[in-house]
Amino acid sequence: MPHVMILRKKCSGCHMCELACSAYHEGAYRPSVARLFSDCNPTTAEIKGRSCLQTGCSKCQEACTQDAIETREITVKPAGNFAGKEKIGEEVKGYVLVVNEEKCNNCGDCYDVCPYDVIKAHPDREKAFKCDLCDGDPQCIKFCQNPYVLAVDLKVDKMDKELAGA
Amino acid sequence: MAIEREVILDFYTGNVLWIDMSTKSTRVEPLNMEWAERYIGGKGLLFRYMWEYVPPKVDPWAPENPVFLMSGPFAGTNVSTASRLVVGAKSPATNILNDSYVGGSFAPEMKFAGYDAIIVTGKADELTVVTIRDDVVEFRPGKRYAGLPTSEIESAMRNDFDKDCKTLSIGPAGETLLPWACLSTDQYHKAGRGGHGALFGSKNLKAIAVHGTGSVTVGDAPAFLADMKRIHDEFVLTDDNLWAHEEGTPVLVDLVNGAGALPTNNWSAGFFEGAKNINSESFQKIRLKKRACYQCAIACRNFHGTTFKGEEVRGEGPEYETIALLGANCGIGDIDALMKTNELCDELGMDTISTGAVIGLAMDMTEKGIADFGVRFGEVDAYAKLPTLIANKEGVGAELALGVRALCKKYNVPELSMEAKGMEMPGYDPRGSFGMSIAYSTSDRGGCHMRTYPVGDEILSGDMPNDTMDGKVERILDGNAANGFIGQNFSSIKFCGIWCDFWAVTPEQISQMLKHVWNKEFSEAEIMQMGERVWNLGRLFNLREGVEPDTLPKALYAESGAHTSGPSAGKSIGEAQFATSTQNYYSFRGWDENGVPSEAKLAELGVDVRL
Repeated sequence: MPHVMILRKKCSGCHMCELACSAYHEGAYRPSVARLFSDCNPTTAEIKGRSCLQTGCSKCQEACTQDAIETREITVKPAGNFAGKEKIGEEVKGYVLVVNEEKCNNCGDCYDVCPYDVIKAHPDREKAFKCDLCDGDPQCIKFCQNPYVLAVDLKVDKMDKELAGA
Repeated sequence: MAIEREVILDFYTGNVLWIDMSTKSTRVEPLNMEWAERYIGGKGLLFRYMWEYVPPKVDPWAPENPVFLMSGPFAGTNVSTASRLVVGAKSPATNILNDSYVGGSFAPEMKFAGYDAIIVTGKADELTVVTIRDDVVEFRPGKRYAGLPTSEIESAMRNDFDKDCKTLSIGPAGETLLPWACLSTDQYHKAGRGGHGALFGSKNLKAIAVHGTGSVTVGDAPAFLADMKRIHDEFVLTDDNLWAHEEGTPVLVDLVNGAGALPTNNWSAGFFEGAKNINSESFQKIRLKKRACYQCAIACRNFHGTTFKGEEVRGEGPEYETIALLGANCGIGDIDALMKTNELCDELGMDTISTGAVIGLAMDMTEKGIADFGVRFGEVDAYAKLPTLIANKEGVGAELALGVRALCKKYNVPELSMEAKGMEMPGYDPRGSFGMSIAYSTSDRGGCHMRTYPVGDEILSGDMPNDTMDGKVERILDGNAANGFIGQNFSSIKFCGIWCDFWAVTPEQISQMLKHVWNKEFSEAEIMQMGERVWNLGRLFNLREGVEPDTLPKALYAESGAHTSGPSAGKSIGEAQFATSTQNYYSFRGWDENGVPSEAKLAELGVDVRL
């Protein structure tokens, strides 16, 4: 199933993905409420990418007592960048986990179980917020502007924890 | 002209944070938007604030001499390379203005916390750390951090204050008030030149750590995102810029050496035999990773790893200027030793250009028998110990910490003093790139290559010969937009943005980006005029503070100073030509024969202050 990954060996630590993510979702640049993170240790150059694995993980959904985290169908067409030329990836159909804000009561159960700390309370709305793959046009991939590599890319897992048993 | 307020407040936070170290108090004042409209941000806005708030003729070491941290309108957005911070102050090294630029993530974080600028005045009674989380500013005792190298103060701030904070700090060299101590952020990023680190030290300020959770607004965010995507694809990720990603600044070593312009053995030669061991090819062999500043697509930073005397050395750089001054100028062609001294300077928090210049001088004086500093050209062991001795002012380091000019004065060897206005010069010998002579002599902060870059025309592209002054002075003012090489006027507007040198942005592209901020089209001429306005404002500041004549060490231009070997052998600008070029420069600028801007010029440019 489709999800975004930060490839730590390719990532230069420019944070363009976080910036684009926040601008797209928040209408302003506010990377503290981005949906993915590239944690860079400036001294050692080590990078730890954090992003939602969607239905490949589903821990938030399992923990939610309000059924506020819903599985939705999505078609993702990732558009990246390669030496200044747009690189359009293959269209991928699958599922994405989305917060239904009407049901979410900000109880925090999902925050505690997320292995990557990428579902959190929104500082303004008191609701959970997370990556929704930008309705199929992930801005993080679009703005991953490493000249020759896509460090933020769409990964497709064959195994799907939720749907495999369905 | 009046601009609607909601338009203005996008891109700017509208706030300036004043920090008084003496009283340990802070206040927030609105950003002066009239100044922002006239001077944009970065360099220009810094100069306007400096004009207003630096007490005229202030002693740079006095508590009243403020240190200004200024961002640009695009810091904290997707505009590539524009994350840069400019640190400004009246410099203790030169007694004139100094604007020093640094990448990394401090400026964006400052804006996310809600401040376009931070201004620090006063002096704390003991070493202090200032932490900022949005509107909460705290003064913390800094004694426990005394003497920490830059990597450790940063990690201490992440542990003790906020794991996501960004830190601007000094190392031991700042604490001992070394005149060329620098400021560090993200460990390897330095506001390197002019001694801002010493000013932090003089205020007993070890570090400012900031974490912001707010936002930078850009008006219509989806439209802005789409336009920045277009601008990046068309103008940033191009062959003209990607050299910086593929090789980075070490690519300059062979080119500059080949032109006889690589400062070697304390500027006594322009060609270094050992350069082949510290050139781009050599560094590629020890390269581990490419890294970027915050919000930069180019990712020019080179992370290297090697061993020196059995000890691991890992880190970013050295960049070209370090290779030139701390390498060739010291006769050091040992890449491992250079990696080590680069790391030491990073950790101690001291500028590598000035460090290399003073070590090269110490070697020269020792070779000539003027003094004995126990180190000669190319001697790795003694050389590798010097940065620590200088930063701590121990042993021979106590004298070397005077800096090039004061050391030459002490030993009465002014002819060896390779600096302009007290600032040690970077890695381009004007005898191998004639235009660099006027570039250095007229630079607003002393010996500096960042204001205009004749090397671009004369060595990199070869568009102009490197051994004549013909046509050079015009280029020093206006640069060459066609190939992206900056002139003083253009670098001035570029550093308002604050765009990095490594994006060969054009005035037309700057106009496309500024349109989002000011909601109007600027012509190329208007963009260049903004730059010229900033440059003239800087000149007025320097005149007010009593700037020295615009000149250079005589060896760099006089017939008697010509090199005797290498590609630039026998070439000199000549004393008469240098004097003529200086007057031509003033005349092109609309300044009088003493370099004072005319009233007509200031009025034409819209400079809003007068001497």
